[in-house]
Amino acid sequence: MLRSRLFLAVVIPFLLCDATIAQETIYMSVLSSRKHRLNVSDNPLVGLFVSTDAGATWHHRGWREYVRTFYGEAASDGTVWLACGNGVMRSTDGGTRWRITTGWQITEALKVSADPKSPSTVYAATAYGIFKTTNNGESWEQSNIGLALPFTADVLVDRSNSSHVLAATEEGLYASNDGGRVWKLSGLKGKGVRTMAQDPLDPRILMACTEEDGVFRSDDGGKRWKQKSRSLRHQTVYAIAFDPKQSSRVYIGTHDGGVYFTNDKGEHWEQRIQGMRNLVVHSLCVLPSNPNVVFAGTLNGGLYRSVDGGLNWEFNSQEEGQVWGLSVR
Amino acid sequence: MGALSPMKTFSIMACMIVLPICGHGQSARQIFEQRTARLIEVAAGENEKSPYIVAAKVHTGRDLPSAFVLLDSLTNDRAMGGMFYSYTIIATYLYTRDVLPDSLHRKIRQAYRDRTMYRGDTENHWVTYYTGLYLAAQTWPGEDPETWFNGKSSEENFKEAEEWLRLWMTTSATIGQGEFDSPTYITVFLTPMTVLYEFAKDPVMKKRAQMMLDLLFADFAAEHLKGNYGGGHSRDYPEDIKNPLAAPSTMWAWTYFGEPNLEQWNEARYRPRNQGGWEPVFGALSSYRLPEIIYNIATDRSTPYVHTETKRVRNIIRFGKEKNPPAYKYTYVTGDYVLGSLHGGILQPIQQHTWDVTYASDKPFNTIFTLHPYYSGKELAMFFPEEQKFLSDEVDRYHKVYTNPNKLNSSSPYEQTFQHKNTLIVLYNIEKGVMQPHIDGFFPKNLDERVIDPSGWLFCRAGNTYVAMFPLKPGEWIEEEVNWRWRSSELKNGVIVEVGSAAEDQSFDEFKSQVKKTSVDVKDFNRMTVRYRNRHGDWLGFTFGGARLLNGKAVDFKSYKFFGGPFLQSERNSGVITLRHGNRSRILDFNKIEIREPQ
Repeated sequence: MLRSRLFLAVVIPFLLCDATIAQETIYMSVLSSRKHRLNVSDNPLVGLFVSTDAGATWHHRGWREYVRTFYGEAASDGTVWLACGNGVMRSTDGGTRWRITTGWQITEALKVSADPKSPSTVYAATAYGIFKTTNNGESWEQSNIGLALPFTADVLVDRSNSSHVLAATEEGLYASNDGGRVWKLSGLKGKGVRTMAQDPLDPRILMACTEEDGVFRSDDGGKRWKQKSRSLRHQTVYAIAFDPKQSSRVYIGTHDGGVYFTNDKGEHWEQRIQGMRNLVVHSLCVLPSNPNVVFAGTLNGGLYRSVDGGLNWEFNSQEEGQVWGLSVR
Repeated sequence: MGALSPMKTFSIMACMIVLPICGHGQSARQIFEQRTARLIEVAAGENEKSPYIVAAKVHTGRDLPSAFVLLDSLTNDRAMGGMFYSYTIIATYLYTRDVLPDSLHRKIRQAYRDRTMYRGDTENHWVTYYTGLYLAAQTWPGEDPETWFNGKSSEENFKEAEEWLRLWMTTSATIGQGEFDSPTYITVFLTPMTVLYEFAKDPVMKKRAQMMLDLLFADFAAEHLKGNYGGGHSRDYPEDIKNPLAAPSTMWAWTYFGEPNLEQWNEARYRPRNQGGWEPVFGALSSYRLPEIIYNIATDRSTPYVHTETKRVRNIIRFGKEKNPPAYKYTYVTGDYVLGSLHGGILQPIQQHTWDVTYASDKPFNTIFTLHPYYSGKELAMFFPEEQKFLSDEVDRYHKVYTNPNKLNSSSPYEQTFQHKNTLIVLYNIEKGVMQPHIDGFFPKNLDERVIDPSGWLFCRAGNTYVAMFPLKPGEWIEEEVNWRWRSSELKNGVIVEVGSAAEDQSFDEFKSQVKKTSVDVKDFNRMTVRYRNRHGDWLGFTFGGARLLNGKAVDFKSYKFFGGPFLQSERNSGVITLRHGNRSRILDFNKIEIREPQ
């Protein structure tokens, strides 16, 4: 009896995990690591890591040394893009060979966002504003017209309308209806917006998180925004991730507060940090194939994984690493 | 001994005219040649895994096998990479390639394919990165993107590097460097420029590099005193702030200015913080020669002078509408001391050194200053894109002391200065709730005299230099290893500083007597206003965040030129810098990429 229970105790979680193995690839960007020392170590502790087995194993891709890799994602055509201190990098072979597509004009790229419908169009959010390419990175154009201040932490291309693009800037949320040619303030004026996310089921629903003012939600494609932070005890929010199958379920990553979860579109938030030893959560992603599997990237605490929707977390990898960005395709 | 031939006579006379005669009857050029030979010889005898050591060994022909082993390890050690590697490895290659075995030729080329060359996030990072990329692309032209670490062809890399270097040079010559006047970091501007000068095949780029070297050296020379880099500094490490001759700039002064008269590598008390400090080896190997006029500017301290500059703030990326606001410098230079100040506020994060008096001395720790050891994530987030609540700890990783209340380098929004010649007022207006709510003063223990006078003045003597400081609010004295730390926890505070010397004031007693006759008016100090009549009778009125009045007339920083002083003159944004000494001048015209020497 005891042996069979033991068997179930070991095998069932394994089967649960195994069930998460799917076609999707997770991209983890490790900006730096407490274990990394600039110019004095040579371990692939930083840069881009990918996993195709729901985080069971990770493989380093591309440059081994420190280039300040903030974020990486794959476009719909399979091209992998990296936002780095060195600029915007591109790989068309899954991360073996890379090209810095940008010149000296573009630096401190914090996020890249490929147009879901036209993957050769990519936006880069940088410390000096927004840049856009329409030819797969062969050339880039600055796209700052209308921004009060250029610092932009994130760009989001509306998947239902490629001309509609949103930008998270230090002075609020900006929107463009002409593919980034001109920007207008959309909301959250004066607030430092860090990132945004679009509801996977209803593209009109957007969420944005801010440096000091919690989380905001728009149900009309970004025209009006409502604060959804009443029950948040930590108002500095760095990351958002929707449950791909039930979009009323949303996770956010906060500074010092770990992960919060809502089951009602942000009306109420519940802190979910069981098992986390680092509560500065900067990146999140939820597996489309199994939304109970959630990843939380921390700053200096590495990557955590939950297989039960965030109720319990286990350290996964990148001890003392700064997991700045996570994405999944 | 036969009579001199007319030709020899002419040559000797020409040398007497061209080369200034220095101590011991030697010319500046002779001293330079001796020192560079000595530097290369000593470096060649070292065994550090350093590109400079390799280059020195190969140059002297000494111990080539071990030079090749060292170079081989530099190419194999994947721990090395990034922007500093980018230019040093190509420079070493270019200095040594004629004697290298084929295997090392291949390995060095391979390094530019396999290594990650991080471009970095500071001005010196980019200068070193793009200098390396420029020379590497020039060395291996016509090669495909696949053969380069960044996936760009030789031509693309060359074009990008050239464009940025030109931009940097133009910016530095019109609105100044962001990492300006740094005893620590000047070495990573001078070294790549000597390499670029030596190896750039394009004569225009070579000329630009020469002009940048002239500009960097002249900028240093105008605030130089006996090997010390005086004045305020954009960035400096604490070890170099409290012991100025331990800074990397000292080796360059020793090599090119002939001062100080000590060999830094032989002096434990001045041993550079970064072991070795051999970067000037690349300078010594290059054919760049310091123009005589810059040497004279660096060493002629016969007449005290005021030197002003306008530099720029490092790129502000957040919390500010202006990317590069001006940074104003005021420096008073004598043969005994340099009193210099930045106008205050946040001009550079982390390592700013706002003011000090540095004096000529044969003892280390020859400086006095105060600071507010401020830190904040918001300050860092002005300049770095990471999250502001995370940045302070992150910066502590690299710079160790950023959040330390005892640190000796800091910018602060709560610190402002007003200087007139050898008088300085520093005001501190610290908000409640700010981290580190105190100000500190650094006073070396090895002062010859330190007198706390009942008048409220503190008097210090270091050899022939006299320093008086009047704290507006009280503080306490804390004894430390090499210094006394004066600390005050008054949030609204300030110090008045007068500096003199035996040459100016006859004696320390006379200096003290004159200083005690000055007038300090703090009746409006609740509004952060101070009025002070100095020992020369000048009235300085200073309000924190408000006016600076000199004898009733407002001082307007906007009137500051790019360079203003007897030795360097330039209008901001003009791109034309005139160097003067005696009846000679040298004009660096960055618009025409031309050097003129009108008589």
